[in-house]
Amino acid sequence: MTSTAQDLHPAPVLEPGRTILELRGLEKKYPGTHALKPVTLAFKSGEIHAIVGENGAGKSTLIKLLTGVMPRTSGEVIWEGNPAALATPHEAMALGINAVHQEVVLCRHLTVAANMFLGEENSRFGILQQRVMVKEAQKIIDDLGFDLPAHVMLGDLTIGQQQLIAAARATVRGTKFLIFDEPTAYLTRKEADQLFTLIRRLKSEGVTIIYISHRMEEVFELADRVSVLRDGTLVGTRNIAETNDAELVKLMINRSIEQVYHKEHFTPGAAIVETRNLSGKGFENVSMTVRAGEIVGLYGLIGAGRSEFVTTLYGRHRKSAGQILWEGKPVQVNSEHDAIRLGMALAPESRRDQGLCLNLPVGLNLNLPIYKRISKNLLISGAQEKAQADRQIADLRIKTPTRHALASSLSGGNQQKIVIGKWLAHGAKLFIFDEPTVGVDVGTKAEIYRLFGALLSKGAGIILISSYLPEVYELADTLHVFRRGKLVATHGFRTADHEEILTQALAEKQEKLGGKI
Amino acid sequence: MSTEAIPAEKSKRNYNALFGLTLLALLVLLWVILSLSTSSFASANNISNLLRQGSMIAILAVGQTFVIITGGIDLSVGAVVGFATVIAAMLINAGIPVFLAIAITLLVGVAIGLFHGFGIVKMGLPPFIITLATLTSLRGIGLLMTNGNSISINNDAFQEFSRNSFLGVPNLFWMVILVGIPAYIFLHHSRWGRYLFSVGSNAEASRLSGVNVQRTIYMAYTLSGLCAAFVGVLLASRIGIGNPTQAEGWELQAIASSVIGGTSLFGAVGSVHGPLLGAFILATINNGANLLNVNAFWQRIITGVLIIVIVYFDGLRRRGGK
Repeated sequence: MTSTAQDLHPAPVLEPGRTILELRGLEKKYPGTHALKPVTLAFKSGEIHAIVGENGAGKSTLIKLLTGVMPRTSGEVIWEGNPAALATPHEAMALGINAVHQEVVLCRHLTVAANMFLGEENSRFGILQQRVMVKEAQKIIDDLGFDLPAHVMLGDLTIGQQQLIAAARATVRGTKFLIFDEPTAYLTRKEADQLFTLIRRLKSEGVTIIYISHRMEEVFELADRVSVLRDGTLVGTRNIAETNDAELVKLMINRSIEQVYHKEHFTPGAAIVETRNLSGKGFENVSMTVRAGEIVGLYGLIGAGRSEFVTTLYGRHRKSAGQILWEGKPVQVNSEHDAIRLGMALAPESRRDQGLCLNLPVGLNLNLPIYKRISKNLLISGAQEKAQADRQIADLRIKTPTRHALASSLSGGNQQKIVIGKWLAHGAKLFIFDEPTVGVDVGTKAEIYRLFGALLSKGAGIILISSYLPEVYELADTLHVFRRGKLVATHGFRTADHEEILTQALAEKQEKLGGKI
Repeated sequence: MSTEAIPAEKSKRNYNALFGLTLLALLVLLWVILSLSTSSFASANNISNLLRQGSMIAILAVGQTFVIITGGIDLSVGAVVGFATVIAAMLINAGIPVFLAIAITLLVGVAIGLFHGFGIVKMGLPPFIITLATLTSLRGIGLLMTNGNSISINNDAFQEFSRNSFLGVPNLFWMVILVGIPAYIFLHHSRWGRYLFSVGSNAEASRLSGVNVQRTIYMAYTLSGLCAAFVGVLLASRIGIGNPTQAEGWELQAIASSVIGGTSLFGAVGSVHGPLLGAFILATINNGANLLNVNAFWQRIITGVLIIVIVYFDGLRRRGGK
């Protein structure tokens, strides 16, 4: 393959507005579940079509059918007027159907360029033309306006940057139909803007975009039309100009939007934890206090040092300077163990990598922090193990058949409930939630926020990290803004507006995205 | 995730028990076939012999399984067995009381296990590498200590033990029960057993949940070393000599038994009964092949095919159940 930047973006061959892909009664049944009830829907070329719905509503199933990952149970797919089997991913790609997934499925140990051309390497006499590929990849990246180097290892980029590369990769392959599955879940605002620019550009070239997201404002910013799925049923398709937030949320969950951000105010009590000029890898000089009954929100871009700050507070990393006071007394937190003993609990950022033992049962995951308490001389009390797990499953309404089901078999929202739920029986005083609602649907979000209220009412304090401004804005009693490892501003509950907070988080607009590399 | 999905989940939950029963059925089937097709298989003598042959690998496989559940591997166990026969022989010949000699030998096994833990946790070496290194060096140390000679053990009572039976069952098989029952309780009903699984599934998540990951890894390798040293004592008793080149390739047999018994080399999946059954299935195949006058080379091939077939079907089931 010797592509140049020009022929990567061929002139639109499709007349905009023509139907490119049509679903006729598309249906998928698993043993025991009806994942997608017959869907009939037509996608037009050059449209951005958003699909929204709660987790488990059938969005992933729809993507899997369209990308040939799974066979359909019944129904027809018409591609450019002809029936398509879509039996294999290869067939879907050959037609021009591609997908960019929420979790980047690329090779972290290869360079950005190698990933861009994976499967279509440029070689001469069987020898890879590495320098040529790096050059071409760089050209494509620059062309798209991403400020990223093509020669570094993909794993050296942040997750958000990797996502941009994945999107760029999908555009290289004569794509006519591109599916984005929650692409902005891990992106900073700036990265998201770059991605939106890319998406609009693809649209102008006649590419059809399916955009799946939980974030309503993105749907309204980007989409031409939006379809709503609920419990495997297509409950409606609207032109974006003719609908609003409230209607969509109502279609999705049969519940009004005011009920999502559920905020209870308590009079803050005594300080639970205080940091004085705490410094460590990735952040410096952070002083803050968390009191009983309050939510302290940490807002900033990904990489601003918020996660590093809390993991250091939690003993995962060493502090380089400063002091931690627990209930007014200076303490040393040298390990997670110390932190947990004091009464801290951490629900980490990445469920998959840090939060869950995916191939183990739900019950084991829930009980992991408290096995010491429910066992006597090493031997676990079977009755208590069952009681504790079943209680959390019931209290949190974790949707699982039994506590023996594997964590991996649950939906994202329910997995997140495990990550949080395992600390509830532990009796912690300080709860640290790092991006607790990434990839979680509106209904589960509301449940998680309600849970915050319940914790606060029992006298706990919460540190809430979120890159999603409305979330910290609507929930935090004290809102700290982080930028490049420093705490740059502090606000009370709704004392500043979105604009001001965003500006503080971004500050120098020219700040280089890939500056750390 | 509707209510209709419950029956499927229940069957998955019983899957472990089912897999164990399948292995047991396979073992019984092999025994029935061999009893019918040979005159000598069902004799008391042969069965005792088979139990003795299988017992030692079975104990090794239990220790190995602990390690594999954490996502690691212990290649050193065969070498530890050989080394332990030398230690036991030297101590007994030096006139040290047998029980003390055995205790010291077991402690050597513990020390080797701790060293593996140190290499993995503190030096950051992959388990494959550190245990491969001890595999080769322990054989070397043993050869140096013995000048390459075998040491004959001059203590009849010690050797009697492995030849005798209790209630008609060979003592060596009783040893499997002695190890198996505490191992079962440890793995499935103790806190540390849970931690083995959680570390094997996701070490970072376990760590953030307050599990002492380093200690868990030390523990797994220490138990494996302990099992191997114990097998060394049993082997010394059975053959009456200390020789560092004994038990060549037993590590692979132990791993094979464990894998046949349903342990996943990716970690976080395993049991105690599985590897035990796996070890006796392998022993039965070897024993039966001898009786049927099958070329000894074929036994190795059959073992290989069996590993592929069982692990393949196990994988099919797991994937299919998802």
